[in-house]
Order: sequence, then C-alpha cells, then structure tokens
Amino acid sequence: MNRLDKIRNFCIIAHIDHGKSTLADRLIEYTGTLAKRDMQEQLLDSMELEREKGITIKLTPTRMIYNFEGEDYELNLIDTPGHVDFTYEVSRSLAACEGAILIVDASQGVEAQTLANAYLAVDNNLDILPVINKIDLPSARPEEVKKEIEDVVGIPAMHAPCISAKEGINIDKVLEMIIKEFPSPKGDEEGKLKCLIFDSYYDNFKGAICLIRVFDGCVKIGDKIKMMNTGKVFDVTEVGIFVPFPKPIESLKAGDVGYLAGSIKNLSDVEVGDTITKANDPIDKPLPGYKKVQPVVFCGIFPVDGAKYNELKEGLEKLKLNDASLEFQPEVSQALGYGFRCGFLGLLHLEIITQRIEREFNLDIITTSPSVYYRVHKTNGEVEELSNPSSLPSPTEIDYIEEPVVKASIFTPPEYVGAIMELCQEKRGVYKDLTYLDTNRVKVNYILPLGEIIFDFFDSLKSRTKGYASLDYEMAGYERSDLVRVDVLLNGEKCDALSIIVHKDKAYARGRALTEKLKKIIPRQLFEVPIQAAIGAKVIARETVSAMRKDVLAKCYGGDITRKRKLLEKQKEGKKRMRKIGSVEIPSEAFMSILKLDEEDK
Amino acid sequence: MLGIYIHIPFCEKKCNYCAFSSFVNLKEEKDRYIEHLLKEIDNFDYNQLDFNENLILLGKEKDTSYKVDTIYIGGGTPSLLNLDDLTKILKKIKEKFEVCDNCEITIECNPNSMNIEKAKGYINLGINRISIGIQSLDDSQLNFIGRLHNSNQALNAIEIAKESGFSNISVDMIIGLKNQSSDTFIKELKKLIEKGVNHISTYLLQIEDNTPLKDFVKNNPHFLPDEDECMEIFNEATKFLKKELFLQYEVSNFAKSGYESRHNFKYWTGENYKGFGLSAHSYINGIRYANSSTFKSYYAKEQSLKEKLTIKELIEEHVMLGFRCRNGIDIKYLEKLGYNIEENKDIDKYNKKNILIRKSDKIYLNSDYYGINNYIIIKFLPN
Repeated sequence: MNRLDKIRNFCIIAHIDHGKSTLADRLIEYTGTLAKRDMQEQLLDSMELEREKGITIKLTPTRMIYNFEGEDYELNLIDTPGHVDFTYEVSRSLAACEGAILIVDASQGVEAQTLANAYLAVDNNLDILPVINKIDLPSARPEEVKKEIEDVVGIPAMHAPCISAKEGINIDKVLEMIIKEFPSPKGDEEGKLKCLIFDSYYDNFKGAICLIRVFDGCVKIGDKIKMMNTGKVFDVTEVGIFVPFPKPIESLKAGDVGYLAGSIKNLSDVEVGDTITKANDPIDKPLPGYKKVQPVVFCGIFPVDGAKYNELKEGLEKLKLNDASLEFQPEVSQALGYGFRCGFLGLLHLEIITQRIEREFNLDIITTSPSVYYRVHKTNGEVEELSNPSSLPSPTEIDYIEEPVVKASIFTPPEYVGAIMELCQEKRGVYKDLTYLDTNRVKVNYILPLGEIIFDFFDSLKSRTKGYASLDYEMAGYERSDLVRVDVLLNGEKCDALSIIVHKDKAYARGRALTEKLKKIIPRQLFEVPIQAAIGAKVIARETVSAMRKDVLAKCYGGDITRKRKLLEKQKEGKKRMRKIGSVEIPSEAFMSILKLDEEDK
Repeated sequence: MLGIYIHIPFCEKKCNYCAFSSFVNLKEEKDRYIEHLLKEIDNFDYNQLDFNENLILLGKEKDTSYKVDTIYIGGGTPSLLNLDDLTKILKKIKEKFEVCDNCEITIECNPNSMNIEKAKGYINLGINRISIGIQSLDDSQLNFIGRLHNSNQALNAIEIAKESGFSNISVDMIIGLKNQSSDTFIKELKKLIEKGVNHISTYLLQIEDNTPLKDFVKNNPHFLPDEDECMEIFNEATKFLKKELFLQYEVSNFAKSGYESRHNFKYWTGENYKGFGLSAHSYINGIRYANSSTFKSYYAKEQSLKEKLTIKELIEEHVMLGFRCRNGIDIKYLEKLGYNIEENKDIDKYNKKNILIRKSDKIYLNSDYYGINNYIIIKFLPN
C-alpha cells in the first residue's frame, strides 16, 4: 500500500442535535488519540459558548491513527458547523474530504438539515455513509429511519451501522466502515502545490492560521506561498497537524489535512475557500467554489456606558481576528450615541457574537433590532443599499425598495402542513411546492423575505409544530416590496434606535405591538410618558406609561438599615443599564426585546 | 448620648404579614430569655467595641458615653411581659447606664394585652411614651391580617393609656388592606385623633417572603389594593394629617409638634444606639452590629452582623436616611467624606421642579415625593 491508501479524510454531517459532536468525541477516544481522562466533554466544541448551546461553530480537524487488520490508518476528521448560518463554511469543509458520515437520530429521522447537508455532500462529490445514532433510546426506530434515509435522501442505508455515540456502542463498526468504504485521497505529492483553505483562526503568537487540505504537492517551512484569490504572498513559518491539539510536523503532502502559519497578521487575508499555491511555481487555476462570505443580518451594537466605546471597538476587532465573517463599521445614533453597525451570517451568529462581547470583554452592550440589507431605488435613479432603518431616505425620494428573499424548505409531519402554510402566509411567503417524502414526512418550499425569517420565524415554527418541523434556507436574491419605516416616539421625541422597516400591510399591527411591548418594558417615570409609533408624521399607535406613584421602602428602623442600603445599591446598579432618550429612561433590553413581539403578544 | 433598644421577641400569635423575629413560646422561654437579656446589658462594655476610623473624616472620635436619653422596648409584643420582668430590665439599665431625667422611654403594646394595671405600672416605672399596634379600625381587616384585637379594644386601649397618665401616645396603622380606600382610612385617622393620639405611623403593607400573607396574595392576586391604590391612600392620608397639624417627619411617621419619636430619629441621623436582645441591631461609632436571631445562638452570644461602614457606605446611608426624613442631607457632611454632591446636575433640575429644597448647606426632599424617594435617592448615591 502506498501512503495515500492509508489516509481517509472525512467529515460528519447531521441535523442539529443528532449527535455529531458526541460521535467525534467517541472516535477520538476509541482510536486512543486522547486518553479518556483528557477528554473534555465534547472536545471539538472548544468554545465555552458552543458547548453551552450544544452547537459547533468553529471547526477543529483532528488526525487519528487507527490500526485496522494490522495496518495503521491516518483518519482525518473534519468537523463541520451544524447550523444554517454557516452553510458556506460547511461546504468548504466538505470540499476538503472524500467521505461524509451522515448521522441520523434513530427517533427523529431525517430532518431539514439532514437533507440540506446531504445535498451539500453530494454537490461536493463525497461518498455518503449513513449512521443511525441514539439506538439506546426507547423511542429509537432504526429500521424505519433507514428506510426514511433511502426514500428521502436517496442513498442506500440498509447496512448503516446502528450506534449509540453516547454509550459507545458499535463505534468500531463506524471506524471499519470509514476505512473500508471511503475512498483514499488522490493526488500527486510531486506536483505543484494546491491546497484548500477550509477554515482559519487567529493565534496570538503565530498570527492567522490556515486550516488546509493539500490536494497536490507538498508544503513545508520556508516555502513562499500565494493565496490565489486575494493574491497575498506569505512565507510559511510552520506546518502541522491537530491531534487534536496543534503539533508541528515537517511537511504536509498531497492528501493530508493540517494547518499552516506564515506570520499572517490579518485573518481577513485568509479567506475560507481560497486556494494556496507556491508563489514561484503556481498552478494555473484555483480550486472551484470560492466565494466571499457576505453577512445577511445586521444590527447596531452600542456600549451601555458610552465611555466604553473604545473597549467595544477593541473587543470587536479581537473577535474579528477569529471570525472573518464578522463585519462592523462605526455608527452614530441620536438615542444611543457612538457604536457600531455589525453584519452577521445569521441570527445565531449575531447572538454568539453579542454574548461573546459581554462575556469575554465584560462589556454591557445594547443591540438594536436586527435587520437585513435593503436596496433602495431612488427617484433620481440611484440605488442605495442600507441596513439601518434610520438611514432610509424620505418617502418622496424613494421610487421602490427591494428586500432579500430566501428559498426555505421546511420538513414536517403532514399534520402540521396547514399550520406551516398559515405561518408562511403571515410572513409574506410565496408558496413554491410541496412534496411527500414518505407517508409521514412532507417538504414544503416557500420563498420568504429574509426580514421575516430573522424576526421570529424559528420560534413561531417551533411552537406551531410542537418542535417537529425543521427549516433550512438559502439566499435567493432580491424582490421588490412595499416597505415603510415605523418610528417610535417617546415623550414626543423620536428614538432612532427603535425604528424598524416593515411591510406596509403589517405596519399597523407591528406599531401597535411595539408600543404595547414598550409600555411593559419602560418603567414608570416621574412624569407620564406617551409612546407613539408613527409612519412619517402619521401616528399609528399610542400607549402611555403613567407617572410613577410608588418607589419607597416603607419601614426603616434600626434593624434593617443595612438591608435597605443594599437594596438601594442594587437598584442603582440596575439603573446603570438604562438609557436616556430625551428625558425618558429606558432599559437597554428594550432595544432587543422588540424583536420578540409576536410570541408574547399574539 | 446613647439610645437603647430592648427586643421582646414574644407574641401570643404571629400576624399573617409578620417577618420579624418573634416567637409564640413565651411560657417556656421567657425566664431564660430575660436572664440572658439582663446579662447582656450587664456585660456591655465600650472597650470591647471597635471604632470606625472613617469617622475621623467627620471630626468624630470614639464616643464611650453611658448617658442614655432614649429607651425603646419593642417587639414582638412587650406588653406580654409582666411588670416584674419590666422592672428588672429597666432597673438593670439604670444600674449600668446613666439614664437622663428627660429620657424618652417607649413601650410597644398590643390592644388585647393591655390593661389599666399594667399601664399604670408602666407610668410608675418611668415609661412615658406608648406605641399601640392598632393597624386598623375595621374588624374584618383586623381579622384578615390575623390580629387578636377588634376595633373596640383598639379604641379602648387608647383610653386606658390616657387614663393611666400617658400624654405621649402613638399608634401604628397599615395601608394596603382589603376594601380600604382613602375615605375609610381617613375616617379611622380622624377617630384616633379625636381620641387624643399625637403620633401616627402609617405603614404600607409589605408582602414579605415566608409569610402566610405572601401565599394568600399569590393565590388571590387582586384581593388587596394595588400599588397605585395604596399610594392614593397614602397621599390622601398625608394631606389629611398635614391639615391636622401632624408633621411628616419621616416617610411613614407623623407627629404633632414636640411628639416626634426621639429614639427613632437616632436611627435616621447616624447617632449611636445599642440594641439588646434577640436579633437586636446596634450602631455604635460607625459600626453596625446585629445579634443572632435564634434563641440558641443568641444565648451563645453570637452576632449575625458586624459591619464597619466604608466611606462609600457612610455616604450612601446619609443620602438614603436624609432623603427619608425631615433632617435632609448635609452637603458639608458629605464633603468631609469626599463626596461633592453639588456636582450632580440633578440637584438643580429637581430644585427647579420643587422636588428638592435647598436651604444653605442642607438639601431636603419635598415630602410630597416621599412616596417615590427611592427613585430620588438612587440619583444621588455615589457611583
């Protein structure tokens, strides 16, 4: 056997929660890559937040050595993010593999992302091997699920290993399958260097690190390399593999998966999907499939304490080092002062970033309602792209507005089709088609405005289908839409940070929900506070927060002065999270909570 | 000058709203308790107490005066004690301390445990102020909160106090009871004033954790008047009392001229007071102390709190207490502690709106705003 025959590059794909990370942990443990005592629960999900949310955001490839029938095999596991926000990253990871293990939960069966990820794998010409997980659960129905995979995904599944990653059942069967069924990589280690960057991260000492798959050639320290799409040239200072922690080695050759460092100062110079070649002996054409990742969801981020603007800026810069898809630029709000307009790959990405700012940099921040990128066609023929409702030109200057739409596929048991169609209708969806995948699974396709998806679509979908439906979507261009801006006035003063762009037909309902919600959130003040929602000068909804009557601790005798003082200190701390809009104090949560209007106010 | 507080932690029955340290095992525990109480008084010694050096900023030094000008016997229900016990306690205090001639000596009484013999006995012991827990003159309200007396007994208690020679009579009333309105409440206040009381405390009913009332309110959320209704009663009552020449010298306390409780005022102005008994609190030379709140640990002389106030805490307490009472806050006092309150722009703003009143070096909260004084206090706490 030659070197390549003993290498397998593969990934694990799954719907969220079907057990991807657990299987990865088991494989690492079973191959002895890490002793059990060194295993942290779900090793590959290294960020604290990832572990908390049970999802994988960052990819960590791992090299495992497994002895099978007397031969040592090199198994490179490339983990993939399991969330729809990170589809492009998944697709690049897949491009680095020859095979994909498709995990399906033995009780849940095929879900939207099972199919979406399987299709991605097919697009990347991977061999797909299904694995049925969680067979230890009483509700497991492995035989039915196998049939579902054959019917819905369209790949043979009758011989799929039935495992429990949690209990460590049949892990050896998976390893055997990887070695026997997945093809070994092809490539010419004597040829010209051709590597794919499938992920990157920032190391404080080594700079930006490229995670690469070598297709042809060999790369080692001292090589001068070139990023083909960005055109940047670097000297390689280190190459290595992950076991699962980084370990420098002499060189990476065709078929290998590993990392490469080159004193690259900016993570933005390392674009996922780019091709690396030798600067002085380049290949003609880069690998296909490269695209620049574009953020699709935007929101304003402001420090609660205006004096911490620079700390926020530093925090965002540091996060960007590790997450090239995060975009931000300075923004000024009349209500919130100096902050940043930030772009994200999706709502989850937004949530992760904002939580990381709060935790890792210990900063209290205000996030404004998320929005999408609108294309405003002006009467003078200009086209303006904007995501910030407050920068929308005046109605007289607007010819029409276009908003981004997505192609959404929803998987559901048939009994929820009615509820789903109703929801999609409410969210201004355009029905495309409906397919019975088998007797108890239907796929519904809709074109939906992205702005509606980011509003509260996931939560509504979950609650209306008791959690049975799953969703996957991809961007599908822009469509013309009748949109207006709804402003919020507090005590007569416009609060720019609360403005939203909505469809005209929904403006009244949204305006009403908004004022009602704010009434609940805004504490009573010394004076009465009117809350109005308005389109231009026209008020469409109004609520009033009546003046405060009671804020007093009744008794104050010798016994409880300490307690009272502490209560007041606490109340004072709470006050620090308030923002002043004109003369009205509003809690910083208000800006984000208007996102969650529908659930509670229905 | 020192104030002394004596805690009598016994009641015939615990009221539904009460979260204070009081117990119903008078018979079994009383003698042992009095014994330890007397011992505690006997053992009092300034030498065992620290001094908070932060007071030096205020030009103060360690005060070791044994002169006492207020004594307050509270509870619980002190009127459950017999005269012998009370005699022992007051005798012990007089042995240990130098009780001034004009010392204000208050006892708290419940209408149902009061009688003319006891009241006369109090007078003979030198007790010159009586505070009666009337709470309401509506029998169904009294029953609801678990009081053992009715409105007739309540009014009778005032008669007894007068007859036995008390001229300084205070009553406690509760705002926030069912079916209460400003009209009904003011009618009750009128009756009390006609009877001759010259000090009234009006407390907003607080629903404390771990009380039967809390459970009840949880299951019957709209049974009691809401916050706004309570404040309506509170504000109307305040107006009425003002008309009757009762001065609101603290958020919940109203007195005819000269009948303010000197003892309670010590709590609000940072003067020294020493509390004896179960869970009794003290503040001496810038340090707050509290005794333990179970008999066992109290007998073992355990303390549940010893808190040397930091400069920040001294400032906070001055602002908090000053805006709660007629005393106001003292700009110079805060300056000595390094806090320049005049840098706070809200002073001028609220001054213009007549929410704060500025007089030379003092700032007072307009008593019309006592009901929201937390809101104001918080604005002036140091960062």
